[in-house]
Amino acid sequence: MSGWIRWTAPAAVMISVSGPAYAVQYLSVEDAQKAAFPSAHLTEVQAGRVWKASNGGIFVLDHVIGKHLYIDYAVSIEGGRVRRVDILQYRESYGDEVRSPSWLAQFIGKTSASPLKVGSDIRNISGATLSSLHVTEGVKRVLAAYGSLR
Amino acid sequence: MEVSDSIRRAQPLLGTFVEIVASGAATCDLQEAVDEAFGAVAQVHRLMSFHDRQSDVSHINREAFVGAVSVNAWTYQVLEAALELHRRSAGLFDVTVAPLLQNCGFLPRDANNSDPTALDPSAESAIAANAIELLGDRCVRYRHSGVKIDLGGIAKGFAVDRAIDVLRGRGVVRGLVNAGGDLAVFGRHAELVHIRNPKNARQLLCVVQITDAALASSGRTFDPHHSARTGASAVFDPNTRRPVSDVAGATVRAPSCMIADALTKVVMIAGEAATELLRHYRASALLVLESGEVRITPDWQDAVRLAA
Repeated sequence: MSGWIRWTAPAAVMISVSGPAYAVQYLSVEDAQKAAFPSAHLTEVQAGRVWKASNGGIFVLDHVIGKHLYIDYAVSIEGGRVRRVDILQYRESYGDEVRSPSWLAQFIGKTSASPLKVGSDIRNISGATLSSLHVTEGVKRVLAAYGSLR
Repeated sequence: MEVSDSIRRAQPLLGTFVEIVASGAATCDLQEAVDEAFGAVAQVHRLMSFHDRQSDVSHINREAFVGAVSVNAWTYQVLEAALELHRRSAGLFDVTVAPLLQNCGFLPRDANNSDPTALDPSAESAIAANAIELLGDRCVRYRHSGVKIDLGGIAKGFAVDRAIDVLRGRGVVRGLVNAGGDLAVFGRHAELVHIRNPKNARQLLCVVQITDAALASSGRTFDPHHSARTGASAVFDPNTRRPVSDVAGATVRAPSCMIADALTKVVMIAGEAATELLRHYRASALLVLESGEVRITPDWQDAVRLAA
């Protein structure tokens, strides 16, 4: 009814989301520190993990590691409260069903007006919503561990 | 105007990852614009979270049956849109399914539930979105006890729209806000969005091109920490009071992300019968049936790129 177009996806069309196909670098650690404490000076107090800001703030770099996902994020704390949380790097990798970039380019190029750069162009994915629960829990752990650091 | 710079940031908000991309002229302070846009998303999160006891939603769920409750203008705006969608969808879009979602474990139960009927499925059948009265002047009242709303099916899209407003207002030339797959873009540039296969989150089904529009998807729950396999549908049919089973996933393009977000739920339930509603909201849809078959509204086939 109502004229919807029926389309059956040939199995070969389905792209597998491979590791390099979806990894996003949002911020370097330095940029995240600048964004969190723009006018403060930061001193590293735990190598590669915790910095103290000259205004009393705390900057913590943490990772969430799951079976298929590895996220670097930074928590900025001021006065014992979380001021902001930034994702530094997001990777989505399943480890298997990795297709070669040329295989991917083969059909994407045919249908796109501007050829896609494979690897960097799968940027927006819509579908079942990804849960950020693990990061949210990580932020709580970071706050419990470093929130009262002096 | 020449675009001289672009930034891309992500923060964990609304239970998912919210990503904002902004490009603008050299005079535009992109970092400030993006921070303010995240602030708008965080504000929607604070107002409309079902989980946060301080939110407007928790406030009205606790007190709107006892007496009128005054809410923030944004909350009121979302409630107005939700009730209009409820009316136009013949009850399929229903924000009062919260007790049902609690029963099935999709939402947490109350610590101190003072009203046992709220958790009794048989008692809920009489309750629908018309149990919510919008009294004007940002005041809300419930007609029945046991009414409980969850704006999870619409607030995320609304948050995206507010973030887009901030970016536009700040003079950003080109922007994208993506809240876990519910997204909106503006600017002259076309943006490509890959649609995840609702039956296997590891696969991408197709590529959709959008310009100055919003796009949202609904499907199964998905936790990439555990498996690419998708779980049960979190969309319930208010008539059967069961999770949707015929449709595996739906993607909707609409002028606003709030409408796209809400309409995915209606399309999940109604399938192709949602045509008139989609037309009313100037929306297009892509539907993935349980069989794996994909159906697209005719107005949208040009934007959906398949490798056929």
